[in-house]
Amino acid sequence: MRVTQCNEIIPGRKIFKRIYIAIMLFVVGRAIRAAAVHDKIVKKEFADLPDDFAFSLGVLPNGPHLVMGKDKKGKIKFLGMNPVGKRTTLKMAIKNIEAAILVFTFQESTAVAFAHDRFVVDGDLSDALAVVRILDIVEVYLLPKFIAAMAVKRYPEHSEMSLARKYIGRILIYARVVLGF
Amino acid sequence: MFIPDYYEFCARVKTVSGHTVLEKIPSYLEKFNAKRPMIISDKGVSDAGLIKLVTGAIEGSNVNVQSIIDNVPADSDYKIVNKITKEYRQKNCDAIIAVGGGSPMDTAKGVNILASLGGNNLLDYKGAGAVKKKLKPLIAIPTTAGTGSEVTLVAVIADHEKQVKMSFTSDFLLPDVAILDSRMTKTLPPFITAPTAMDAMTHAIEAYTCLAKNPLSDATALTAIRLISENILNVVKNPDDLEGRLALANGAILAGMAFSNSMVGVIHNLGHATGGVCGAPHGVCMSLLLPYGLEYNFHKTTHLTAELLLPLAGVDVYALTKPEDRAEKTIAFIRKLNQDLHTATGGRHARFLKEILDRDGNMMVPREKLPDIARTAMGDGAKVYNPEELDYDDNMMVLEHAWEGTPLDREKVKKGKKKYI
Repeated sequence: MRVTQCNEIIPGRKIFKRIYIAIMLFVVGRAIRAAAVHDKIVKKEFADLPDDFAFSLGVLPNGPHLVMGKDKKGKIKFLGMNPVGKRTTLKMAIKNIEAAILVFTFQESTAVAFAHDRFVVDGDLSDALAVVRILDIVEVYLLPKFIAAMAVKRYPEHSEMSLARKYIGRILIYARVVLGF
Repeated sequence: MFIPDYYEFCARVKTVSGHTVLEKIPSYLEKFNAKRPMIISDKGVSDAGLIKLVTGAIEGSNVNVQSIIDNVPADSDYKIVNKITKEYRQKNCDAIIAVGGGSPMDTAKGVNILASLGGNNLLDYKGAGAVKKKLKPLIAIPTTAGTGSEVTLVAVIADHEKQVKMSFTSDFLLPDVAILDSRMTKTLPPFITAPTAMDAMTHAIEAYTCLAKNPLSDATALTAIRLISENILNVVKNPDDLEGRLALANGAILAGMAFSNSMVGVIHNLGHATGGVCGAPHGVCMSLLLPYGLEYNFHKTTHLTAELLLPLAGVDVYALTKPEDRAEKTIAFIRKLNQDLHTATGGRHARFLKEILDRDGNMMVPREKLPDIARTAMGDGAKVYNPEELDYDDNMMVLEHAWEGTPLDREKVKKGKKKYI
């Protein structure tokens, strides 16, 4: 058989996993934007990042992505799910959909995923660390303790995040995620 | 033994080790079709006559050294890299020979990035994914048995204006050849031999106890620890011991292979920041922070810390120590080693942060700088690989104890529940 007659091999689409990751990224994106308004630590993390900061977080090779960045006033914007044509100063990507499933089903924390070479980072590493810290805080807001404790290295004690801060923040962040503002 | 679900390991540097192996340099350059190398080194190496040793080994071959840069400072920054690259281009060089410790090695890697990929500013290649293709030939000749830069895929280069050390990471930063020649470390004075070898020891210990450990990095780390532990004190006391020097050089390269593939944790996290903020020598920070890092992670890595006693102290001590006491004994062994090195160097090997002095005898890490160090450490990549979380307060706690010289109160360490390794 001539080479030109061979059909291109297309990897399995794993459609349900891709849909799940896309939904998770969408929720996380909106939650980060909300946390940047309601949580003082997330607000400070973003304030310390460069004025033109924008990042994408997604799955390779052609998986879903989210794009976020600062606008001219320093406000955090959710810039959608398609990184093509968008200027980003930091690109973070998980190498494949299976690794992404481990991270987004909270079987593996973001830090451990980094340690297990599951991420590709293109950009300033200290900015990537700030994003990891923000993700950790957002996971604590979004998830019940028994799940979040698996997703972060150390679940914050009450002295670090009071119950009032956690539950009020959770309500406000979920409200913004659902209503999209 | 811990085997991660997934890991990557790359150690493809041709390594040549022996007592007279510098003479191999021309044949390796020939293999790369290179004839016009630039030598990058520092003043100490040059003053010790080591550059002459290298050029002497090249003389009479088809290789013509085009340029010798022998003034790389101890804490090189990206502006120096940019400047040396200009010279590289002006002299039409086609390869780099890096001779020295961490600073000349990392500077050479930085120059190689710019010289190979184009551009005038190293900052354009900052981060983990910016270097994407093969660079010019790089031969690394370490003159300190410590950094392991000769086999690492990372270059740490300072930005003095921002008081930070930046990491440039890529498989393409691995040198092509590492030459370990015992003559190159023979002149290293004891007070520098001690912290540089302890730096290598720290690479191996963090590689073995941090999150990205894997069976291949474990194998190289354990052999490195044994080689260094068996030889460090003897070489510090007998600097002309060439067999011991070669053993330390081999320990350092093995430790380099280990940590380059499994990364490091709290000790490097705080050490990088201390170097960035105060200019304290990297090896010195590593050796004195080592016991504190092990104490900080103790609740998550007790079993691994216990295993370190065998390569550190030998089979007799290991067998005579109860299993439940081995982790504590490991930390005590390292503290005693630092004390012995302090004594053997006439007090010049610092045991605590407050003991780090500059050439004029001034304290390099004043206590009031600790908050700056703790803040800077929050942006250092090593924290990701540490088994326990590290926030500003954690950093301050470890730094305060390491400054004062008092063991950590492990009851006060905030403990995450999940063990990963």
